[in-house]
Amino acid sequence: MILTTLEGVTTQQFADGTGWDPKPEGLCRGEVCVPAPGARRDDGTVDVAAAAERLGMPLVHDVDHGVWALGPGTTTGKVLSTATAPDPELIDRDGNPFRLSSLHGRKVLLVAWASY
Amino acid sequence: MYPEHTHRWIDAAAPDDPADAHPSLIDTRHVTGELFGFVNIPMAVWIDETGTIVRNAESASIERSPLRDAEIPDGIPERMRALLTEVKAIPDHADAYRAAILDWARNGAASPYALTPDEVIARSLPRDADVARATACFELGQHLRTTLAGPDGEEAAIGWWKEAHRLDPTNWTYKRQAWTLATTPADAAENDLLQEAGDVYGTSWIDDVLAAGGGARYVVEPRL
Repeated sequence: MILTTLEGVTTQQFADGTGWDPKPEGLCRGEVCVPAPGARRDDGTVDVAAAAERLGMPLVHDVDHGVWALGPGTTTGKVLSTATAPDPELIDRDGNPFRLSSLHGRKVLLVAWASY
Repeated sequence: MYPEHTHRWIDAAAPDDPADAHPSLIDTRHVTGELFGFVNIPMAVWIDETGTIVRNAESASIERSPLRDAEIPDGIPERMRALLTEVKAIPDHADAYRAAILDWARNGAASPYALTPDEVIARSLPRDADVARATACFELGQHLRTTLAGPDGEEAAIGWWKEAHRLDPTNWTYKRQAWTLATTPADAAENDLLQEAGDVYGTSWIDDVLAAGGGARYVVEPRL
């Protein structure tokens, strides 16, 4: 997740960018919730540094360009912390947004390929 | 970003053919690598009707590459010989993986190839602090390359991508993407697949494959 500031990041932005939804019970993804006291503020924003620490996420800062990248969590020591499929927004050939969740009810074989 | 250069590849797969219609999607930010664990291509995950992953990211070739069986001609440069030798050594599970997909398509959860959620998580690739940091470094480099104009973006990305390569040397996506951009001229009709990116990254496909144990260690082999 790319950030140009660590202040004012909303719970929705954090959820969209990381897949971890800040809820009252903790930071949640699928059926997994990680307790994170203080990460979810009353004003609807997220203490990014606190959330990153609870989820074992690296926060990398490019000082010259004033931008951060928040990496993935490491709570399970595995790429997947849940078998619930992530639902990133991708685009189709014509640039239209597409979410994998639109295929619910069907089996999906998601194949990654590149021309290099 | 609207990557028109992908059209030739998408159109070749005929995603609108009624007999074989499928969504063909473009991941302009490499988010699927982070989210699903793709570290090379081709790799695939299987997702059931409820949106649950039933097979984690693995190498997903379904046709044996002709390069596996090609004879290496005499008289070619030694580096090319080494490259072709390692390509031939890449494990091939195409027939078995294709058969497993078809079995799952027919039998769903009853297929022996459909895994439980615990198995899927346990079989997904390891992600320690270095691997996670490599992901952030790669994303940062990609962001700078695509948001800063021209050479400034290219230059800003190189340092972060080098760091991603150092932290997670087994992620071939990070390397192949960076190397291809470094060695393929902007107006080239085809990508440079040799990826001799030593001048920029100090590394290359063949050198890093050999350092990682050769072609036999190049893919995440499916556990069928």
